Amino acid sequence: MSTAAPADPELAPVASSTASGSSEEVPPLKADPATSKPRNRNPLRFAALRWTALRLVALAVLLGAWQLVVVLEVWPRVLVPSPGEVWHQFILASTVHDGVRGYGDHLLIEHLAVSLRRIGIGVGYAVVFGVPLGVAIGAVRPVAVVLEPAVTFLRTLPPLAYLSLLVIWFGIDESPKIWLLVIAAMPPIAASTAAAVRGVPGDLVEAAKALGAGRLPLLGGVVLPSALPEILTGIRIAVGVAYTSVVAAETINGVPGIGGMIRDAQRYNQTSVVIVGIIAIGLSGIVLDALMKALERVLVPWRGRA
Amino acid sequence: MPPADSSTTAATEARAAHAVVLDRITVRYGDARRGRRGRAPVTAVSDVSLTLDRGEFVVLVGPSGCGKTTLLRIVAGFERPAEGTATTHGEAPTPGRGTGVVFQQPRLFPWRTVGGNLAFALARHGVPRDARAARTAELLSQVGLSGMEHRRTWELSGGQQQRVAIARALAGEPELLLLDEPFAALDALTREHLQEEVRTLASRTGTTVLFVTHSAEEAILLGSRVLVMAAGPGRIVEEIAVPLPREPTTDVAALRGTAEFARLRGELAASLRNTATS
Ligand SMILES: Nc1ncnc2c1ncn2[C@@H]1O[C@H](COP(=O)(O)OP(=O)(O)OP(=O)(O)O)[C@@H](O)[C@H]1O
Ligand SMILES: [Mg+2]
Repeated sequence: MSTAAPADPELAPVASSTASGSSEEVPPLKADPATSKPRNRNPLRFAALRWTALRLVALAVLLGAWQLVVVLEVWPRVLVPSPGEVWHQFILASTVHDGVRGYGDHLLIEHLAVSLRRIGIGVGYAVVFGVPLGVAIGAVRPVAVVLEPAVTFLRTLPPLAYLSLLVIWFGIDESPKIWLLVIAAMPPIAASTAAAVRGVPGDLVEAAKALGAGRLPLLGGVVLPSALPEILTGIRIAVGVAYTSVVAAETINGVPGIGGMIRDAQRYNQTSVVIVGIIAIGLSGIVLDALMKALERVLVPWRGRA
Repeated sequence: MPPADSSTTAATEARAAHAVVLDRITVRYGDARRGRRGRAPVTAVSDVSLTLDRGEFVVLVGPSGCGKTTLLRIVAGFERPAEGTATTHGEAPTPGRGTGVVFQQPRLFPWRTVGGNLAFALARHGVPRDARAARTAELLSQVGLSGMEHRRTWELSGGQQQRVAIARALAGEPELLLLDEPFAALDALTREHLQEEVRTLASRTGTTVLFVTHSAEEAILLGSRVLVMAAGPGRIVEEIAVPLPREPTTDVAALRGTAEFARLRGELAASLRNTATS
């Protein structure tokens, strides 16, 4: 399944190493006394620069190949617009021109903001309900027996499958979209929370009991903090799922919204707009994923050390 | 209590007079009743009886796998014996009720700082929030870690972590203290310092201590009584009384140099060699 496109693990090192210049990617430095002294004053920064440069080169190659394909007219222009056209479309969608505001009466950034807001609200509800649900599943056997299959059931459903039902129930305004995102985002959070709660080290539970901890201090003082790293990972996956689902959620009456924008553009064969939308989703996804990772580093500095 | 059953009452009171009573206990792991089907249960400890008076300092020594940790876990209330009865202060052992435990590994909470680990214990024992900082500083100085409140637990050395674990177990001022090879990971100097600290603390506060070690030297220095265990299945095979002075003012460091200490240590070492080869 391709549930977590923006939070895809393959994107992970890309996002993290730009943020931190992570040291494991640094190749062993050649001991060359003549040249190494001035250049390696800050080897970490130097390496980070080098990887950024590599990334830029890769990007340039990609754009070049794209331009080449367009120039050679391998496919018709309507299907594959040039990078320049997409850039032009990006400018149009981001500005007010001839009295027209962006695309479909909204600037690109507004479409994106509306979608992000939906994602935020959806994931927010998913956290509020998913974490307690996961704790219950992980800690109470009868709850697990009943609800765990339900969570797995929901997790395997593609959002488009239940969108129709949500539209019948809730109409075409904001609520079916939020519902869809909640339903899509909650299972990964509940599942990873449950797994984390089951994986709480028995050693530490015993230590807390030996100190006189009852049920509540045990939950708040040991179970939740020890589960926190995995809960955060679950939330990161859920954000990814919400990202992939938001386009589905916005297929009906989705303007403003980046998914709605793409949907409308598809209807009028505006390939460049579709591509602008895709790039906007992908880039904002990378940024968001990096932010979530930074948050993890702040909240769980002990991760992998105990 | 109703006078009708005076014999039971008397027995209960007799038990309550002791800090720990183990009465012919046998402990099995992987018992069929506990759902480990298809595996023969391991008898970790067989038919062990043991009584600790209040304020006594008893040391368990014996080869690896002879059931020392198992006995401690019974007394701590983490395991129940398959046969026989166990009580602490006259009641079935329950974790956290006046019994402090220092495990073989430090078992600190990595999401809390050193001070936070101690504060967790203090909070569980009803120490009000504004009194915790002072008490934390006091506990840390007791184990030679003054000023380490804000350190992350994983930044500490193994020995430092174990010292925090000791301080954390002392936070609740337990009546009964169980220590499982607490000084095994320490350097010699720190170990000696902490041995003296624990011995003095026990004689000063009257805390009952059950202490597990591999070291004959440590056993003689600390214990008022040393129990030698043997494996296969785990049992107590010998008891050595240690008639060294136990006043709060006793110079523990000086004890190490006395002829009496050397003699007892030699006796215990010989006994340990016998158990290992028999
Ligand atoms: N959870 C368990 N499940 C099954 N067997 C166990 C378990 N814990 C201990 N045992 C067995 O019980 C016996 C006694 O173990 P115990 O940990 O009490 O030994 P010990 O004297 O503390 O050893 P050491 O000095 O190495 O710590 C051993 O044979 C061990 O294999
Ligand atoms: Mg042991």
